[in-house]
Order: sequence, then structure tokens, then C-alpha cells
Amino acid sequence: MRSGEQPRPFVRPYRFVAVGLVVAFLLSVLTARLWDLQIVQGQHYRGLAEDNRLLRLPVAADRGIILDRNGKVLVRNIPGFAVSIVPIDLPKAREADVVLRIAQLVGRDGAEALKAVADQRARNPYEPTKISTKPVSRDVALLLTERAELYPGLRIDAESIREYVEGPLYSPIIGYTGPVTEDELTQLRDQGYLPTDQIGRTGLEWEYERYLRGTYGWREIERDASQREIKTLAETPSQPGGNVILTIDDRLQNLLANELNAGIQADAFTQAVAVAMNPQNGEILAMVSTPSYDNNMFVRGITQSELDALNKDDRHPLVNKAVGEIYPPGSTFKMVTGLSALTAGTATRNTVVNVSSLSINVSGTSFFDWRVHGPLNFVDGYAHSSDIYFYTLAGGSPLSSVQGVGPEAIAKYGRMLGFGAPTGVDLPGEASGIMPDPAWKLQTFGEPWSIGNTYHEAIGQGYVAVTPLQLLNAYAAVANGGTLYVPHLLKAVDDTRGNAILTRQPEVLRKLAMSPDDLRTIREGARKVVTSNHAPMPNAKLWIAGKTGTAEFGLSSGKDSAGRNKLGFHNWFVSFLPQQDNTDPTAKIAMVVFTFDSSRSLCDSCLNPAIAISQRVYESYVLGDPAKKAELIK
Amino acid sequence: MSVAGLTVPRAASPLHDRPTFRRLDLVDPYLLIATLLLMAYGLVITYSTSFEDVAAGDPIQFILRGAIFTALGIVTMAVIAYFDYAWFGTLAPLLYLLTLGLLVLVLVIGHNILGGQRWITIAGQKFQVSEFAKVLMIVVLAKYFADRHDRVGSPLVLGGALLLLGPAFALVYRQPDLGTSLVFVGIFFGMAYLAGARPWQLASLVAAGLAAFPLIWGLLQAYQRSRLTAFLDPYADPQGAGWNIIQSLIAIGSGQATGKGLTAGTQSPLGYLPIAESDFVFAGLAEDLGFLGAVILFALYAVLLVATLRIAFRARDPFGTFVAAGVFSMLAFQLVVNVGMAMSLMPVTGIPLPFISHGGSSLLSVCMALGILQSISMRRDASRLRS
Repeated sequence: MRSGEQPRPFVRPYRFVAVGLVVAFLLSVLTARLWDLQIVQGQHYRGLAEDNRLLRLPVAADRGIILDRNGKVLVRNIPGFAVSIVPIDLPKAREADVVLRIAQLVGRDGAEALKAVADQRARNPYEPTKISTKPVSRDVALLLTERAELYPGLRIDAESIREYVEGPLYSPIIGYTGPVTEDELTQLRDQGYLPTDQIGRTGLEWEYERYLRGTYGWREIERDASQREIKTLAETPSQPGGNVILTIDDRLQNLLANELNAGIQADAFTQAVAVAMNPQNGEILAMVSTPSYDNNMFVRGITQSELDALNKDDRHPLVNKAVGEIYPPGSTFKMVTGLSALTAGTATRNTVVNVSSLSINVSGTSFFDWRVHGPLNFVDGYAHSSDIYFYTLAGGSPLSSVQGVGPEAIAKYGRMLGFGAPTGVDLPGEASGIMPDPAWKLQTFGEPWSIGNTYHEAIGQGYVAVTPLQLLNAYAAVANGGTLYVPHLLKAVDDTRGNAILTRQPEVLRKLAMSPDDLRTIREGARKVVTSNHAPMPNAKLWIAGKTGTAEFGLSSGKDSAGRNKLGFHNWFVSFLPQQDNTDPTAKIAMVVFTFDSSRSLCDSCLNPAIAISQRVYESYVLGDPAKKAELIK
Repeated sequence: MSVAGLTVPRAASPLHDRPTFRRLDLVDPYLLIATLLLMAYGLVITYSTSFEDVAAGDPIQFILRGAIFTALGIVTMAVIAYFDYAWFGTLAPLLYLLTLGLLVLVLVIGHNILGGQRWITIAGQKFQVSEFAKVLMIVVLAKYFADRHDRVGSPLVLGGALLLLGPAFALVYRQPDLGTSLVFVGIFFGMAYLAGARPWQLASLVAAGLAAFPLIWGLLQAYQRSRLTAFLDPYADPQGAGWNIIQSLIAIGSGQATGKGLTAGTQSPLGYLPIAESDFVFAGLAEDLGFLGAVILFALYAVLLVATLRIAFRARDPFGTFVAAGVFSMLAFQLVVNVGMAMSLMPVTGIPLPFISHGGSSLLSVCMALGILQSISMRRDASRLRS
């Protein structure tokens, strides 16, 4: 301002400058923030805007079905709907109200559903959490979708439920599916699993998850803020899972299961296992473990009390006892003792031991046989299951000059025959069993091996323990002339159009380093077990060969969970069926039947229920179907 | 209100004003150009966001409406500039009563929109009274300060100004329109400071406000509270209070350097960006036109604000200076708060961005204010300021 002007005291220049600077500063801050948002983080926000706009919706893939070797459907899918909540779309204020109403409609406990939604909100509110524990009907789904505005955050997806057609008959093999857990998801997400996914939890559902699962398709849609679909931008169809075809023959499975369950009903035993396989390639034709459980309970949402009951049951219904439990093999193990002595050369088929008394006394302890047999050669010793004969072959005895083959050799050939290690069967939870030797005992118990240990081992008592499948597989190797196969349940995987995705080839675990003649001697002995009436088979229509076994372990008193007597005696019959009445290694079927807590049976003619069961099943299976008869015997 | 400011040199009497075309050369060209460019920019943004969000209504309708209001605004501005602004000073007591009357009326017969009673309908058009109330209160406060321009430093004068403002503030707050009532506060502080209130007095007022904060907080509605705090951490309740802010940030950020292009934004048409045409219009602008478009907006505003300050500086009398100071405060406050809110730097209070936000009342009231500014500019003592 020039001098001489009238003063303008109402204009305060410094304050104008100050106000201008404040506004300039604020605009700079805004510009800086804008720079940060649009230039520095622009890419990030561009991505978020796309995420807002685009939604990749999974298109569910049908899980493959499971069939037996003849095409009988064992597992299929029943269509239904899954009801889920996406927490981000459900205002918190309405959460309790909405979730409780949905929970009631789909039959879920309200508190559980609320917790699930709260957990998911904390975890990742953009991902759905399933409210329905089992697929809901079309009616319920329609009811919900028609009033969708009442249920913000609601999502309905097509979902099928597994139906296990035979339930308990196959549950030990097939297992069941269940919702994928959060822990698993951290690893499985990369493989395309979603939080709402079902995954095979055990059994073949677990084992062949990769074939059964299928691949999600994707539908990319543009959506508005209310999640309404504006249009579909892209679509990739889902690929259904492969159909798993098993080596199981449903007819044989049913024959065995009916026999075993009838035996339990008749109080002959309390638990039982049966496995049948083709010795020529390791295909498992039947695998029964009873009592078992209904796997449909798991896919429909098992209650805690149901689960508790199964877990508390001392018969272990959730375990596939053919592979998951180990038992002393009893006299069936004499095959190993005998083959060890024959292979090591300490005995031949002509080695005679005169079993002239009921017991031998070694190191101040008496070791008994079950009768005074008199002189026995190898085949007769095996056929009559003489304990003293095999004590002698294993550890020598005062009755004979025969040198014992020793525990190391028995362990060596036992391992060769597959004992003490998993067979590699395509099932989870397979036990190794125990194939002891002196080093093992020293390590496990800190005690040296004794002659008594050798004797007990010789007749399948003591420390040795096997799974029924291991025992069967060892006998199958004898029956086929010396090849130990990896037993398996998978025959093939087909796509939905029936084209083979995979065909399982026989897998040789090892060739036995044993002479064919010695193996033939065992087969001869096994056949004589039946023909000598040690394992009586009245009116036999087939030339079954096999070996009995009786083992005593555990409680022999009290009652089990089902209220049946626990007698503590367990019977084996492991067998094979040569194609003709000869000792050729041509058997196409071998079978083990194990009955648990049987009535006591130590005499030649006393009841070993496994023998009669085996005979009836062989005869029904082979003779009941001309085609089967033509396939299995000449 | 008494007329006490007669000691001012060259007392402004509207009766002595002779409107002549000579004064056209005293129109502030920067203010005029910035105004017209901002109006045009507003129409462009209206076009861009209307065509995106076809679901909201016929886009042509929106643009037509915008164009009509822009034309009306220009006419209003010209008419008001033609008259001597001193008339406003003379009529200030009446204007004050008119303001309060309209605000009471809107509470009684107003239309309820989005939870607020803000509109009254005149001749088929909805008018948002609080928008006009802002400009009228600037005039009233300017007149009050001008009449006491030599003793604005007195606590009594400041207290009197607060008493004048109080009823209008309370009536707007009751609508409830928290945003506009806050604009009143911004206007008051800006005007009081430029009119000469002592900084310590203003600081005391701020301190008192802070001290009373718990009390004020208790008076707020729950939704207002959650909106006010949401900007601190929008992700605490991404679905509720934080939703608008998150979606606004996504819209702005995704615009990047040059934007997605006119009508190409996705946030607003898909419904992610709520109230995209008013409170969050800046987010739509930044999404479509990017950093560049936003900086152009800031630049135009900077020109407008500097021109306004210059008019205040050169006004012939305290009334003119203070009116311009008030308009400056109002525009600066609304710009900073609206943009800051869209970028999550400030609480969400629902304040429109002048020129850019759709809405006839906002545009017309700003045009009124700018018309007064031009009137002040045209009636400055040019000879005294020119060499």
C-alpha cells in the first residue's frame, strides 16, 4: 500500500498469509495422500477393485464313485444342497438372528453354527463357512433362496452326499469323507481345496483322494455390492473325479461277512477278520473286519455321543483289523519255522522227530505239545501241527539230534515272507507287526534271548505278531511258488466315460530266496492238514489246503462292549485253493479267516470255527457261479 | 442487530451505489474463470458417474439437471454481482430471521432423506435449506463483525458472534446434518480469525470444545459416532461403518495416475461406492480421472481460493472483507474435509464438494456466494489500489 492512503485496519495481511499457508499445507497433505493411494499403492487398489467386481465361483466336481471288480456300485453320490454363510456379507448386528434361523432350518445346533460363523469372520470373512452339516433337501434350499433378502450372506451350493451303499460291510476298507480342517487347508489350498471341501478321511476315500476328488470348475462373474450376479464372464467346467474300481468281489465279500456275522450272532466268537486274495497278483478279493461301523454316519454328521460310543467300544469297530491290529499267528507260523529250517538246510522233508511224550524239558521248563504224535516227518509234523516237531526244528530238542535253525534264521526268513513290515497295501493305518530276533529282544526289553523264546516263536506265540493280511500274503507267496506281491484293493480308475485313467499292475515286493521244492513241501503239508482231518472238512467238494492256528492272549474272562464272553482264544485258518488236487503253485484264491475270542480249541477235532467258515465260503464262492468255477479251478 | 459500523471510511450505502457497466472491468477474472472451469468440471464428473451408474436413473436426466442448475447458477451469480453487496449488509437482520425461519420450517415440513430432514420443496424443486443457510450466515456474521471491526478482539464481540451462530448451528444439527453444522464452525473460526479475533481467544474456544468433547460425544447418535471413528481403522468393521471408507479408498487408489477413463469406473456403478454423487464424489472423480484429474481439481480450487483471498484483501470495507473471508473459509473447509474424508484422513461427516457434488442447492448457494464476491470485487476502490 502506498503511503498517504487511508488506513485499512480491518485488513490484516499477516493473517491472510497465515490462512493461505494453512490451506496450502492442507492441500499438500491431501496431494501427498493422493500420491500414496494412487501412485504408490495404485496397483494394490486396482486389484481390490477387480476383486470387488469379479468373483470366481467354484463349480463343484462330483466325487468319483467306487465299484467292485464286477461293476457293482459300493459308493455313490446323492444330490443335495450345502448352505453356507459368507460373514463379510452378513452385518454383525443381524448375525445372531440370521444364523440361528438358518441353523434351525438345516438342523444344526444354533450355538455351534454361531461359533462357526464367528470363527470364520475372525479368520477370513470373505470365505464361506458351511452351516449345514449334511446336504439339505431341495425344499429347504428353495425356502432359503426365495427369501434371500432375509438371509444376508447366505450361499447355497449344489452339494452331493456320499452314500455308502453297504455301510458297515465296506466301511473298514472304504472309510469315509469329512470336511477339510483348517490346518489341512493351509497345505491343501495350493491343490485347489476350498474351506467347504470334503476330503477322504480314512480308508480308500483317503488313499485315492487324488483320483476320486475331481477338479473344480470356475465361473467368473461380475457382481454388484449386494453380490448379485450381473453377468458371467468366463466359465470352466468342473471335471468329475475318477471312478475307482476295486479288486473286491462283492459276492465273496458278502459270503465272508455273512459267515463272520453269523458266527458272532451264534456266540462262537466276538470279532472276526477275513481276507481273500489272488496269490498270482496280489489282488484282494474280499476284506471283512467285523464288528465295524456305518460310515454313512460320518458323512451325515456323526453326533458326539455316537462317536464316543464307537471310540469306547473295546472291539475297535473303527479299526480295519485286517491291517490295523496285530495278533500272534499261532501255529500258522509253523510255515515260517519250517521254511527257515528247510531253506537253511538244518532239516529236509524227510527229517523225522519222534514225538514220544507230551512235553520236552529244556533249561528246567516244560514245553508241551497238544498230543503224543509218535514219529513225524516234515509233512506230517506240519499237517498235525506238532509243537514239539517245530520246537525241534527251531531250537533242537532232547528228543532228536536235529539241529535247530535258530531265531536269527527264523527272523530272516520271516522278514523275507513279509513279516515285521507293512505289506504296502493301499490302505492307511497299516501295522508293521513284530518279527522278533535276539537283537530286538535285547533292545526292547534289555534281556537276552532264551531257548524258550525260540520255542514260543517256532509255534507263533511269544513276541511274534502279525496282521491277518501279512499272514495271508506270506501264504499267498507259498501258494504261488515264491513271489511276494504287494496286496492291493485298486484294480483301475476310470473316467466318467469309462476310459481307463489307470490300471493297477501286479507289483512284486520280492521273490523269495527259497527253493521251489521246499515251497512245494509246505503246500503238500497244508493240503495234508485238511486231508489228515486235522482241519476237518466233512463232505469236502474242493481240495482246500491250509493251516490252522490257535493263539491265546489277552483276557480270558469278562465281557466285551457287546456283552459277549471274552475267552481269550483266537483261531486262524489260512488257506489256498490249488486249481487241481495237486501241489502246483497255481492257486488263484487264498484266504485267511481269523476269529477272535473263540471258544477254546486245542484238540484235533475241537471246533476251530475258521475252518468250517473257510470251507463253506470256498464252496459257495467257487461252485456257486459256473464262471467263477471255470476261472478258479480246472 | 444495530447498525454501528458507520465510522468506516466511505461508508457503504446501497442507496449510493450506481451500477454501471464501467465496473465490469473490475470483475475478478481469476475468480470467474476458476468458477466456470469448476462448473464445467462438475458437469463432466456428473456425466462420467451418471453413465456408470445407470441403475441410479436416466443419466441424461442427471446431466440435464446439472446443466440447468449450472445455467441458473451463472444467472444468480450475475444478478447478485450486479447489485451492491452492501444491500446484504443492510438486510442482514432480516436475512438472519429468514435463515432461522427456513431452518425451523425444514424441521417441520422437511423431507426425510437418508435419515435427515434436509429438504423443502419449492415449485417442484427440492431445496436443501442448510446450503443456503451457510451463505446467509456468512453475510450475517460479516455484518456483525464489520459493525464491530475495531473491537473484534473483545471477548464480548466474539461471544456475541457465537450467540448469533448458535441457533442456526443447533437447527442444522437437529436435522440432523452434522456435516453442515461443522461447516458453520469452520466458517466461524476462519471469519473470526481474519476479522481480528485474538488467537488466544480462538484457541480457548478450541480448548473448551475439546474439554466438552465427552459431552458432545454423548449427544451424538450411535451411527454418527461409528462414522466418526471408522476412519481410524476402517477394517475394524469392514462391513459396517468402515465399508464406505474402504470402498472409497479402493475407488481412489484404483484410479492410479490417469484414471480408468470417463464412465469407465466400476466402484460406483456396481454399488460399492455409496452416495457416489455427493459425499463421495471425489472418489468417483479420482477413480475415473486418476491423480491427474484430482490435481487439476486442486489447482482450480487453489486459483479460486487465492482469488477469494485477494478480493477479501482489496474490499472497500470491512463487510466486504469479512464476507469474502467467510466464503474462503467455507470453500476451503468443504474441500479439505470432503476430500480428506474420501481418503480416510478425516471422519465421514457428509459434506458436499462444491461444484463437483451433484445437487442444485449446493451449486446455487455457492453461486450466490461467488456473486457476492464479484460484487465486492466490482465495488472495490480501484483507484486506490492501482498505481
